[in-house]
Amino acid sequence: MKAKSEAPKASHAATRFKVGDRVRVRNMPNMFYTRTQSYVRGVIGTIAACTYKDLIPEEDAFNYDGKVEQYYIVRFRQKDLWEEYPFDNDTLQTESPEHWLEPV
Amino acid sequence: MSTGHKHDGDHHDHDHEHPAAPMVEEITDYEVLEIAVRELAIEHGLFTAEDHRRFTEWAESIGPINGSRLVAKAWKDPAFKALVLEDGVKACKEGLGLDWAEPTGFGTPSDYTNFIVLEDTPTLHHVIVCTLCSCYPRPILGMSPEWYRTTNYRRRLVRWPREVLAEFGLILPPEVEIRVEDSNQKCRFMVLPVQPKGTENWTEEQLAAIVTRDCMIGVALPRPGRTADVHPIHKARRPVQASAQHGSAAE
Repeated sequence: MKAKSEAPKASHAATRFKVGDRVRVRNMPNMFYTRTQSYVRGVIGTIAACTYKDLIPEEDAFNYDGKVEQYYIVRFRQKDLWEEYPFDNDTLQTESPEHWLEPV
Repeated sequence: MSTGHKHDGDHHDHDHEHPAAPMVEEITDYEVLEIAVRELAIEHGLFTAEDHRRFTEWAESIGPINGSRLVAKAWKDPAFKALVLEDGVKACKEGLGLDWAEPTGFGTPSDYTNFIVLEDTPTLHHVIVCTLCSCYPRPILGMSPEWYRTTNYRRRLVRWPREVLAEFGLILPPEVEIRVEDSNQKCRFMVLPVQPKGTENWTEEQLAAIVTRDCMIGVALPRPGRTADVHPIHKARRPVQASAQHGSAAE
């Protein structure tokens, strides 16, 4: 799988993103288990926190002790998620492992 | 045939008695799976049926009281508040004696041990949801309310948070940023609300009483005089009469 070879081995590599970085959620096919919601795919947000390193859901779901990756809380403007959203200030945060995010 | 029982485009004959629909208890594939795995584990001696019952009883008896205590303590003690915001798991252990690693040493299988407390301000209001399932900070708030797990709340809160909050009776002005936290991975979240005015000299115990479960999910705000043990009662405008009297009057 392409995503697999691209993603850094976080246990050996430094954290790819830092708080304040702009990132886009990648839009990868749902071939296996994922916890990345479809409503954030392709949308640009900002790293709000670097949370922990853990197994990625795609492997954890099958009890496979594979790659450990950095997770991030990403903040989005509601207006960027939903075209018709009427309030400028409102935001939404959700968490994502590194391989689902790309720099903007 | 009764006119109140018309099926358009349905050609089957209605000149017969409808057999009563059998009462079937709905059971999902996941429930079947859970029973199968549990029975296997019991059969193999990993734990007993009584162990399972006792664990379930314990898990279901955890209420939101520790969350209320955490908030009240944070309101009273700025140093503790700083710890709560910096490291929720550590604050639980040091301030409340609550260990997220219990009972297995690494938490329960779906609770994990990453706990983030989200601080509200006069211009920022947090509200929590899990669009994927029902992730909830169970070690500190207990089992989630039934509505929290419904697809209705989960799918609508992320998209129409103000409308959903209004349905809970919470209407916030547009200047206040509403920040939805979709708890979709291994972090668990709780809201630290703003301490309401007029409670500055209250004791920790008094404060904890107004920090109800819904305030820590973010669908309500704490208010003096509003506690979980007292709920509003609206008397019926036309109370039901005693049945014997009602029956004889109708005949």
